[in-house]
Amino acid sequence: MVRHPRPPVNSRTTVLRRLARWWLMPLPAPPAALRRGPMRPNAFASGLRSTRLTSQLGVALGATFAVCFLTGLLSHLIQHPPGWLWWPARPVGLYRFTQGLHVATGLATVPLLGAKLWSVYPRLFTWPPIRSIAHAAERASVGVLVAAALFQVVGGVLNISRWYAPMPFFFTAGHYWVAWLAVGALLVHVGVQLPVVRSALSRAVPEPPQGRLSRRGMLGGVAAAAGLITLTTVGQTLRPLSGLAVLAPRRPDVGPQGLPVNKTANSAGVSALALDPSYRLAVVGRAGHTDLDLAALHAFEQHTVELPIACVEGWSATGRWTGVRLRDLVALVGADPDRAAVLIESLEATGRYRTSTVAPAHVRDPLTLIALRLGSEPLHLDHGYPARLIAPNRPGVLQTKWVARITVRESS
Amino acid sequence: MRIRTALVAVGVLLMGYAAVGALADPGLKPAGVLLFLAGMLAGHDIVWMAGLLAAGAAIARFVPDRHRSVTRAAAVSVAAITFVALPLVLGFGRPPDNPSVLPLPYGRNFAVVLLLVAGTTLLTCLSADRRRRSAAGRKKSERPGGSGPRPAGR
Repeated sequence: MVRHPRPPVNSRTTVLRRLARWWLMPLPAPPAALRRGPMRPNAFASGLRSTRLTSQLGVALGATFAVCFLTGLLSHLIQHPPGWLWWPARPVGLYRFTQGLHVATGLATVPLLGAKLWSVYPRLFTWPPIRSIAHAAERASVGVLVAAALFQVVGGVLNISRWYAPMPFFFTAGHYWVAWLAVGALLVHVGVQLPVVRSALSRAVPEPPQGRLSRRGMLGGVAAAAGLITLTTVGQTLRPLSGLAVLAPRRPDVGPQGLPVNKTANSAGVSALALDPSYRLAVVGRAGHTDLDLAALHAFEQHTVELPIACVEGWSATGRWTGVRLRDLVALVGADPDRAAVLIESLEATGRYRTSTVAPAHVRDPLTLIALRLGSEPLHLDHGYPARLIAPNRPGVLQTKWVARITVRESS
Repeated sequence: MRIRTALVAVGVLLMGYAAVGALADPGLKPAGVLLFLAGMLAGHDIVWMAGLLAAGAAIARFVPDRHRSVTRAAAVSVAAITFVALPLVLGFGRPPDNPSVLPLPYGRNFAVVLLLVAGTTLLTCLSADRRRRSAAGRKKSERPGGSGPRPAGR
């Protein structure tokens, strides 16, 4: 009988050990003659760059990315609600706050990200470029992180400026999926760099000689830049600062009837239908179907509410809306307004936002209206004449304009 | 070590989720996303950084040593505000039928913000010069044999 002198080669531990050796095995260094240009030793002269500066910027950047990711994810879930999501109708301005915070934080991230990438730029030309397979994988993940972070920040700035031509994809979907990519790459990066960051943050480094910009000076410059950007833009949602919002893409008081417009009736292709005297609002429920003309809508008890339009692009503005409570229309077709969900359809023939679903929490809320007037006038055509939905604590894209049909579904 | 391994593992999973989700999303053009990602890397690492390093070199060449740190800190604001303002100033996103989008004179506003940053920087440099001159004057009057008052303090 022959005995095997060694354990079988395909045992799990051996395979793992081989894999680890292959993963960490040093690769042959490239010829030194290739070490030119920015890859030369000490090619980058600035003494301001330090692991401590990079770590501090990284921690701040981690915080802003976390805020943007969580608020952005929330906005996505509200717009595409999964079965488990319960989004309340109150507080009225919660979405206005979270989405305003999303965009303001994203804008304040611009100098942070710029400074962070500047501080690590020489590492792009590290020598040798690849030391092992593990090193190559780590560098690739950093490349993904940098590309994804820039994608989010640059894409966000282009989005609020409504300049979509440089982005060859649907912005909303791209921004959403690349957010997951950025957060994943960020976690990998934190996992790899954690000991370096811990050590850099626990040990003080000497400040540069008098006259040179210090680390604290640089951090102050970055904070000042973030403050300047915030001050000149946040007035698009924070009304008291609207006078300072000289670089905001929107002003809360500029637009027809003193309110900004996202999509005009012309671009939605609904002008003729909306102005047609034969306009009827169809209300459909299990118990019946009613067509209401404008006179019939005005004959209902009218209610006036003050509610904001809070756009996903970060601007918001409060309007004084008058119209019919949605719950009254739900009751009209025999449904229980406290339990019903409603599908609202626009006169628009196409478009991603031609319909929206109103969950029971919003349907039963007395602030939710089918609005007919804004301020003291009938709705402007661009604000959804003849009738639009306005509900508390919802993104602007879900406040369907030019409402043509309301379908009531009673939930159990 | 366990925390680090968990972070890397969760990170890789999320990156995988992003890739699969993007490929499965019918409303997205993944090739366009990849192109934009690559464009961001190239645009930042080649074009933007080259501009930034050139600006840094220009500050080192033309700004006196004593004002360089303030100027560099101000340059951070100028670079960041330029990046945010540029799409507004160019105004390519302004739809012809919606005057409530990009309603402001952004070119003028951007210039005003730049002037404010430049003015603040200049004032900071001038007041630093004045402080330096008066400190030098005091030192001179405190020379041995001078009649200046003794410095206050310990």
